[in-house]
Amino acid sequence: MIRTTTLRKLFVVVNNLILISLALTMVVPLVNVLAVSFTTDLESYENVIKLFPREPSLEGYKALFQQIAILRPFLNNVFVTVIGTFLHVILCAMAGYVLIREKFLGKAILVILVTIPMMIPFEMIIIPVYVTVKRLGLMDTLWSIIIIGVVSTFSILLMKNYFEGIPRSLEESAFMDGAGELTIFFRIYLPLAKAGLATITIFQFVYKWNHILPAVLFLHSVEKYTLQIVLKSLVVSQELSGTTLSVANNARMGGIVFAIIPLIVVYLFAQKYFIKGIMIGAVKE
Amino acid sequence: MRTRKNILKQIFKVRLLYLLMLPTLVYFFIFAYFPIFDGFRISFQDFRFVGESRFVGFDNYREAVQTPGFWRAFRNTLILGFGNVMLTAFIPMVLALLLNELRIAAWKRFTQTIIYMPHLFSWVIVGGIWIFMLSPNAGIINVIRNLFGLDSIYFMAKETYAQPIMIGVNLWKQAGFVCILYLATIAGINPELYQAAMIDGAGAFKRVFYITVPELLSTLRVVLLLNIMGALRMFNQIWVMRNEVIAPKVDVLMYYVYERGLVQFKIGYAAAISVLIFVLTFIITAISNRFIKYTA
Repeated sequence: MIRTTTLRKLFVVVNNLILISLALTMVVPLVNVLAVSFTTDLESYENVIKLFPREPSLEGYKALFQQIAILRPFLNNVFVTVIGTFLHVILCAMAGYVLIREKFLGKAILVILVTIPMMIPFEMIIIPVYVTVKRLGLMDTLWSIIIIGVVSTFSILLMKNYFEGIPRSLEESAFMDGAGELTIFFRIYLPLAKAGLATITIFQFVYKWNHILPAVLFLHSVEKYTLQIVLKSLVVSQELSGTTLSVANNARMGGIVFAIIPLIVVYLFAQKYFIKGIMIGAVKE
Repeated sequence: MRTRKNILKQIFKVRLLYLLMLPTLVYFFIFAYFPIFDGFRISFQDFRFVGESRFVGFDNYREAVQTPGFWRAFRNTLILGFGNVMLTAFIPMVLALLLNELRIAAWKRFTQTIIYMPHLFSWVIVGGIWIFMLSPNAGIINVIRNLFGLDSIYFMAKETYAQPIMIGVNLWKQAGFVCILYLATIAGINPELYQAAMIDGAGAFKRVFYITVPELLSTLRVVLLLNIMGALRMFNQIWVMRNEVIAPKVDVLMYYVYERGLVQFKIGYAAAISVLIFVLTFIITAISNRFIKYTA
């Protein structure tokens, strides 16, 4: 008995050490990035592990706003994220609602048509999608970014799940009172599925904010660039990529901080929806 | 006649449902179903945006299998893919088991939150952080090496390190996410199982090994399949972290498609490779599905 408790104690110590060092591999780089972003140009090249700036300075952020002109891509990103997320949530909720109705003519076909695209990853159809976007005249517009992924099977099924949890008796009495399909959707189902709406809003927000591939494919002029595109030319090692862009480490790390902040804010305020969404997603797939 | 009228009547009755579904259907037809067929058609063409595209039979496919670049991308996809699939399935499992042993709830939640964080970041952010951490000047890894009197290594400019770095950074980004999937499964295990085992005199290690781990196998199956799908689609990480020096080791199939199709504008050729990847995905998923079912 004594032996097992000492073993247990030893395990607890080792386990905590492992997990702390793991957490440190996440925390130290982030603190390092934050610290370097607030250094002077010169200090940002110092060969030490910087966890706080020696002489705090905004030189990096100044370069970010003036030389890199980060504000424009930032606002472009806000635009596609906000509009894209809003459209995504409303359209997927509408489709999810249709899928919980009792058998109606054509429902089986609709279910199939909505489910199959889950097996067609965007990456594998970029060539024909590129051709389509060009033919539709959407090339080099922010709308092309909003439209790609404006609905997804995943979100539709997630909304369907939430709607199914709403008691039918509510809508039956509304039907009795002569309410139409749209009234029932907007007045009963949408307000009662707030948790579901919140979950896909947050997922979509993060997803849209971080979008890379559509922007790489469809945006060609500098004033249309979204955040990740500009950030990439900022953060990749310049000696190796051969770009002429010359910025100090502080501005490069400032760019990263700039792109992370909205994500951290969303995550801290809506953590429970994240975990819920991940779990439902895994069960579904 | 009667039945047709009936059908129309039925459709009319649920016309609002169709209306609610319409945007979704239009989107899927234009951006999922049509591109599948269009991509297949383009793969047999010498495609051009202006003027007429000629059909060239299997020329694009023939060119693909005869190009070393394609096979190089193929090999890199398999190597990086295998590393990613395995490491990001099993290491988070160990991580979840360790996290589950933490008795203080707040500390457990805090660690979990921290480990999940990198999954939120885009590949540009994650790639940017690690390119900096691995850089020869001011990069944390080399600063630590210098402390021990070792010379700095220019990690991102060495072919030997390229693949381990890509796999390691991917693990850093995805581990927390996969870990949550396992933790959710562990939380759902019936506590009576543990109590029964305890009464039978099973120690802590035995309880984990004979109860928790077997319960995690179904989740492991899901994770493996998710990872396999993800491995074949790998693009963003490579787009951010590649450079000309390490390109021979890290250029994967999706990057090859992008480069050939949309940088060099060999659209027909790139479409042919996309079709090949699609077929490959289908085969690999089917095989692994059977294999995973068989072993689990």
